[in-house]
Amino acid sequence: MASQEKITVYNLADLKNTTDDAIPNYLSSLKFTPSHTPTDVRLALGFSAFALSAACFFWDYKLGFESTKTYTAFAVALYTILNGFLTFWILFVEKGTIYQGTSPKGDKIRISTETKKNVPVYYMTIEVKDGKTGEKKTLKISRSFTEWFDAAGRFVAAPLQTVLAQGVEVIGRVDTKRANAAKTAEGAEPGPPAAVYTPEMLDMLSGAGVSVVGSAAETATGTEAAEAKKGGKRRKA
Amino acid sequence: MLSSLGNPRQAAAQLMNFGLILSTAFMMWKGLSVISDSPSPIVVVLSGSMEPAFQRGDLLLLWNRNLFTETSVGEIVVYNVKDKDIPIVHRIISKFGTGPTAKLLTKGDNNDSDDTKLYTPGQNYLVREDIIGSVVGYMPFVGYVTIMLSEHPWMKTVMLGIMGLVVVLQRE
Repeated sequence: MASQEKITVYNLADLKNTTDDAIPNYLSSLKFTPSHTPTDVRLALGFSAFALSAACFFWDYKLGFESTKTYTAFAVALYTILNGFLTFWILFVEKGTIYQGTSPKGDKIRISTETKKNVPVYYMTIEVKDGKTGEKKTLKISRSFTEWFDAAGRFVAAPLQTVLAQGVEVIGRVDTKRANAAKTAEGAEPGPPAAVYTPEMLDMLSGAGVSVVGSAAETATGTEAAEAKKGGKRRKA
Repeated sequence: MLSSLGNPRQAAAQLMNFGLILSTAFMMWKGLSVISDSPSPIVVVLSGSMEPAFQRGDLLLLWNRNLFTETSVGEIVVYNVKDKDIPIVHRIISKFGTGPTAKLLTKGDNNDSDDTKLYTPGQNYLVREDIIGSVVGYMPFVGYVTIMLSEHPWMKTVMLGIMGLVVVLQRE
């Protein structure tokens, strides 16, 4: 289930970007149809502003300043307008949207996400519009990144998919397996996993002769370290 | 990091962000040009010929519009000599006539003689359109970076290296 790529678990931007990329993948696997209109508008605005300034650079380079200054003045004004509109679009229309699309049952969904500095929590805002009744709803879900990243920084898709399928009816309706799995698992134990060491990490630590004990400060005695070393060897064998 | 290359829209967005940084800097410069009506609204002093007013490395802010009064004697101006690309900053010491055809003579405060030797052979005076702006403000020493970079090209390499490293190391 885990993807091959590992990220640094201390890098909040990495955590967010990886999760942001995973959600569209998950939804397209459920046959959701993405709508790229907001992104395309942003790209069109940005690239036309860039093209304008490239043209301005070119005529300035070829013909000098004096003979072209009227055009330059218009170009500067237009560039300011385009860039202002682009900023408006990013701040007030896209608002951190990472996915917008339609489910196979005709419901519309839009997911925007954010993180807060130094807080390892993924804040999702999900707007849905029912395909039949046209009813609009806004959900807010915030979950810790530890739920879908293991200690080594590998992304694990299933828990995130479960969070979405369980929390968002529009997704749960399509992915019934995950939605139901969530309900049964809820009774058992949904708590976050304790400090988990991967086999590789154990190998690395034992190889370096470092104490593997979880809270080393408590009991960092020689015997403990030796035991840990043994543990490492056993795993290797 | 490289996985974004698989998604054309994401790759295009990254390219766009990089392009917009460059183009915004350029357009701000051009905006300043348009407002001050000068092809080069900010210049760096390269010589000590205007000491004690300006030192090497001072950054000068230029204004090239005659809104209320004509450019007149006593003003410090930046001008381009015919067929030479290096702008010179000196003071106007005498003026004959009025309007765009007035004949202007300049001299560096720290020089012994006037600028007739600096002008192109056959050119004995300046006219208004040789001037690219009058100095209206300055920041001491800030422009020294550009002097260092142009006089010691290896610094450019070092600076580009450091900037490249920063881009690679902190990727948002």
